[in-house]
Amino acid sequence: MTNRFSSSLSRYNSLEFILGALLTGGICFLVIFSDLIFQSADKINLSARLLAPFADPEHIFGTDPLGRDILARVVSGGTVSLQVGFLSVAGAVVFGVIMGLISGYYRGFWDVIVMRFADIQLAMPFILLAITFIAIVGGGLANMIFLLIISQWVQYARLVRGSVLSLRDREFIQSAQAIGVSSFSILFRHLLPNLIGPVIVLMTLNVANNILLESSLTFLGLGVDPLTPSWGGMLADGRTYIQNAWWVSVFPGVAILLTVLGLNLLGDWLRDSLDPTGKTSR
Amino acid sequence: MNTKQYFSMALKSIAMATSITAASLSFASTLTVSSPQDPGSWDPIDTFLINWASVSTNIYDGLTYRGPDLKLQPGLATSWQQLDNGTRIRFNLRQGVTFHNGEKFDASSVKFTFDRLMGDEGKKGPQRSNYAAIESVEVIDSNTVDFHLKAADPVLLTKLAGYGAMIVPPKYIQEKGEDFFNTHPVGTGPFKFVSYEPKVDIKLEAYDKHWGGAPKLSNLNYRFISEPSTAVAELQSGRVDLVIPPTIPIGMISTIEESPELDVVTTVSPSVYALRFNTKNGITKDERVRKALIYGVDRQAIIDSILGGQASAISSFQSPISFGNDPKMSPLPYDPAKAMQLLKAAGIKPGTKVQIDIRGNDSTFNEVTQAIASYLQIIGLNATIKPYETSVLINDIVPAGKTGEMFQQGWGGWTLDYDNTAYFMYHTGEKWNPYDSDPELDKLLESQRSLTDTKKREEILKSIANYTADRALEMPLYNLNAIFAVSKKVKGFVPVPDSRMRLNNVTVE
Amino acid sequence: MANFLVKRLLQAIFVLFAITLLVAFAIRLTGDPALMLTQGAGSVTEADLVLIREALGINKPFFAQYFEFIVGLFSFDFGRSFLGGTPVSDLISTSLPATLILAVSVMLISIVISIPLGIKAAVSKGKWADQTIRIVSLVGLSFPNFWLALMLVLVFSIWLQWLPPSGMYGFTSFLMPAFTMAIILTATNVRLVRSSMLETLQAQYIMVARAKGLSENTVLYKHALRNCAIPLITYFGLQFGGLLGGIVVIERVFNWPGLGSLAFDAVSGRDYPVLQAVITILSMLIVSVNLLVDIAYGLIDPRIRTE
Repeated sequence: MTNRFSSSLSRYNSLEFILGALLTGGICFLVIFSDLIFQSADKINLSARLLAPFADPEHIFGTDPLGRDILARVVSGGTVSLQVGFLSVAGAVVFGVIMGLISGYYRGFWDVIVMRFADIQLAMPFILLAITFIAIVGGGLANMIFLLIISQWVQYARLVRGSVLSLRDREFIQSAQAIGVSSFSILFRHLLPNLIGPVIVLMTLNVANNILLESSLTFLGLGVDPLTPSWGGMLADGRTYIQNAWWVSVFPGVAILLTVLGLNLLGDWLRDSLDPTGKTSR
Repeated sequence: MNTKQYFSMALKSIAMATSITAASLSFASTLTVSSPQDPGSWDPIDTFLINWASVSTNIYDGLTYRGPDLKLQPGLATSWQQLDNGTRIRFNLRQGVTFHNGEKFDASSVKFTFDRLMGDEGKKGPQRSNYAAIESVEVIDSNTVDFHLKAADPVLLTKLAGYGAMIVPPKYIQEKGEDFFNTHPVGTGPFKFVSYEPKVDIKLEAYDKHWGGAPKLSNLNYRFISEPSTAVAELQSGRVDLVIPPTIPIGMISTIEESPELDVVTTVSPSVYALRFNTKNGITKDERVRKALIYGVDRQAIIDSILGGQASAISSFQSPISFGNDPKMSPLPYDPAKAMQLLKAAGIKPGTKVQIDIRGNDSTFNEVTQAIASYLQIIGLNATIKPYETSVLINDIVPAGKTGEMFQQGWGGWTLDYDNTAYFMYHTGEKWNPYDSDPELDKLLESQRSLTDTKKREEILKSIANYTADRALEMPLYNLNAIFAVSKKVKGFVPVPDSRMRLNNVTVE
Repeated sequence: MANFLVKRLLQAIFVLFAITLLVAFAIRLTGDPALMLTQGAGSVTEADLVLIREALGINKPFFAQYFEFIVGLFSFDFGRSFLGGTPVSDLISTSLPATLILAVSVMLISIVISIPLGIKAAVSKGKWADQTIRIVSLVGLSFPNFWLALMLVLVFSIWLQWLPPSGMYGFTSFLMPAFTMAIILTATNVRLVRSSMLETLQAQYIMVARAKGLSENTVLYKHALRNCAIPLITYFGLQFGGLLGGIVVIERVFNWPGLGSLAFDAVSGRDYPVLQAVITILSMLIVSVNLLVDIAYGLIDPRIRTE
C-alpha cells in the first residue's frame, strides 16, 4: 500500500518534472542554437509584410509588419528574455547569498543592514521603482538586469539568513568551530550546502518571474534596442496588430507563456523535493 | 481628509460608476471623444499641450479664429488694423457676447486676459514666452482695444486664435480664484463646462447663447485614454465616437476600416518627422556622409508600406501647409549606389557604426527606424537603435548634445509657419540645435522675424529651406497625416490639421 | 510585548523615512519639470525657466523641499501637481479608492477560486486532480499580464461585446482587470491553501471529526478550513502589498483611474509631488499591512518576538 502510494506519487510528480524539463530544455536549446537552425531573423522585407502563418513554407509563423520571419524572430528573441532571466538571477543570488551568509553568521552590523534593506525593498512598489530608475539611467539590457539584481538580492539574503540562523547553533557547525575550521570554510563548505535547496527553488521561480517583468517593462516602452528581437518587444509592437494580424503577438506570447510555465513547473517540482518546509512560498 | 471622507469617496466612485452608463445612454446627441492625455488644468496659460487645445477650443474663443480651412477669421474681434509698421494692432470687438457665467465680454476682458498672461500668473506657466512681443494692451473704449508690440510679430494674429490668448472672464477669476478656474473653466465658446474628473473625463454641454449660434450637439464628453489599442477598443465597442490624433497607430487603420460602423478620416497635418544629424562629431560631421545616408534610405517605400500611404515625402523639415514651404524643392531620390560612392569618397569603412536615438513609446516611428536601419545595412553601415523615454530624449539627450549620429525629431507647430520650426532647429544656441552653428543661416533666420511684408518673408523662409537641404542638416522623412477614427453615427465631422477642433456643427445619429 | 510593538513601529517609521528620502532624491534626478512643461514651446528662454522653477518651488535646496514634503505629509497636504496645479491630495483621493477597490476585488476573486481548488488538491494529493489543478493554475501564473489583458479585451469587448474595454464605469468594468490579476495570483494561492490544508488534515482533531462520522464537506470546510484561516489570512495580507505595487501595468491597459496610472503619468511628466505622494502612500499601505501581520503573528506566536 505504502509502496504503491509512493510510486504513484513519484510518477505524478515527474509529470510536472517532465513537462517542465521538456519545455525549459527544449526552448533553451532552440534559443541557444537559433543561429544554426534559423536564419534571417533581422532581414526586413517591406514587400512581404504581415504574411499570414501556415501559408508560406518559408514563413511558417507568418511575417511581422516589417516582413521579418516571425518564427526566426521568436526563437532568437528568446536570447534577450533568457539573458535577462538568468543573468539577473545569477547576480542576485551571488550577492544575496553572500550577504545572507554574512548577516546570519556574524549578526550585528551586517544583519541590521540586510534586514533594513529587506524591509525597504518589501515596501517598495517594484514597477514604479523601475519606471523611475529607467527614467534616470535609460533602458537597455544591462540596466534592466542591474535593476532586477538591485531589487531582488534581498530576497535571497533574507532566505539564507533565516536558514543560517536555524543552522548556526546546530552541532555540526559548533563542532566545526571548535576544531578551528575557518569561518570562510564554515560558511561555504558547511552552511551553504545545507541551505541551498530553497535558494534553488527561489532562483527557478525568479527566472520565470523576471522574464515576465522584462516583457512588462518593454511593454511600457522601457526596454531594449528594438532591432534586437525580444519577446517583450515583439508583444509590445504586436499589440497594434492584434486584430488584423494576430500572429504578430500571439507567437511571442505563447513563447513567453511556455518558457515561464516550464520554469514554474520545474520550480514547483523542485519545491516539493528541495524545500519541504515551504520557506519559499512567501 | 479623514477616513470618513475616504469611505464616502469610495462609495461615491462606485455609485458614479454605476450611474454614468445609464446617464450616457439617455442623450441622443452626445458625442464622446477619446483624448490621449489629461492636461490637468483648463486654464489657457497653464499648459502647452495639444490635448488641452482639442478640448478647450470648444470652451473658449480668441480674438481671431482659425478653423479647419486654416484661414484666419474674426473671432471675438470682428476686425483689426495693423498700425505703426505693425507695432500696434487695433481690434474692434464683437458686441453682445457673454461668458458662460453670464459675465459680459468687452475690452476690459481682453485687457485682463493679456495682463494676466504677461503678468505674475503668466510667469508661472509656459504660455507667456509665445506672446513676448506684446508690450501692453490699451482699452480705447468698451469695444476697441489696441495691442502695443515691442516689435512687429507676423505670426501674432495666428497665435491669438489659440492657446494662451483665449479670452477669460475677469470677474469670475477674481471672485472664485485661480485654483477654482483651473478645474472649472469659463469662456465664451460654443460649449460650457459641466464636470471634470482628473485623469478620467471632462464633460461639456451646449452653450445656446454662443455668438455663432447654438451648437448642434447637446453634450460633448472627452475621455482620457492613453493606450491606443484601448482607445480603439472603446471605439469598436461603441462607447467612444471619435478618437483624435496622435492616438491611432498606422497599424490599426486597416482594423478600423474593416469595421462597417467605423471610418478613418485623415487630413494633412503640420506634423513632420526627420532624423537629424550630429553635425559636430563623428562620421555625420561630413556633409557627404549625411547626403549618403539620405540617398541610402528609400523613404517612399517606407511611406507606402509601413505608413500605409498616410504620409507624404518632404524635402525640407516642414509640411506642405507650412508658410515657407517651397513646392519646387524635391526630396533626394533613393540611390544606394550613389550613397555607397559618397561614403567611399568620405573614407567611411563598411561596417561603421551609426546610432539612431528615438523615443521609446512611438510604435509607428519605431518601425520606421527599424526599416531605416536595414536600409543603412544595405549601404554597408551598421545601424543600432537606442530608445529613450520621451522626456529624457527631448529634455536631456538632445539639448546636451549627447545623441548618437542621428536622432528622432518630430515637429508640428500649430501656427503653420516655418519660422516656428526653422528658428528653433537651426539658430545657434537654441535648445533643439545642440550641434550646428552657421552664421549665414543665423542671419537669414533673424532677418525674417520682424518682417511684416508677407511676400518677402516667404521668400526668405523658402531660401532657408533650400539652404538647410543643401547642407543636409537632417534626413527629412515624411509629413504624417492627422488621423481620426470616427463612428459612422457621427455626421458633419471635418478633420482639422492641428487638433484644435470645434465640434459645434457635428451631429450624432 | 510592548517592547516588541515599539520596536516594530520604529522599524516601520524608519522604512517609510528611508523610502520617502530615496524617492524624493531619485525623482529629482529624472529631469527638469520646467523643461517638461515648456516642451511644446520653442521660444522659452532661460529666464522663463527660472520663473517657472521658482513657481514650482524646485529652486530651493533639496532638504528644504524634502522637509516641506514631510511636514505636509502630516496634514495630508502633498503640494500641487506640476501639471495643472491641482492639489495632489485631490488626485489621490479619487485614485486611491479606485486602486483599493480593484485590489480588493482581485483578492476576493482569487481567494474564492483558490480555496475550493486548494482543498480539492490537498484532499487528492498526488492524484490526477491535484496535478491538474496545480499545472493549470501555474499556466495562469505564466501569462504576461498585459498580453492576457489584451487578449481578454479582444474576446470580451470586441468580439463578444459583453464587457467595456476600459475605464471605471460600473460593475462590468471591474471584471476584466480584476480577473486578469486574479488569475495570476491564483497559482500561488492554490499552493498556499493546499499546503496548509495538508498540514491541518494530519492533525488529530480532524481524525476525530472523521471518526465521528461527520460528512467530508463539514470536516473540510468547517473544521479544517477554519483552522488554517489564520496563516492563510496572513499570507493574503502580505500578498496585498505586492499586488498594490504590481497593478500599474493593468491599470494602464484598462485605463483604470487608479494610483498606478497616476504614478505612470507623473513619472513621464516629471510631476515630483504626485509621484512622491503615490509611492509614499503605497509604501505606507504595504508597511502597515506588514506591520499588522507581524503584530498578529507576535500575539499568536511569542517566539517571533525575540527574533
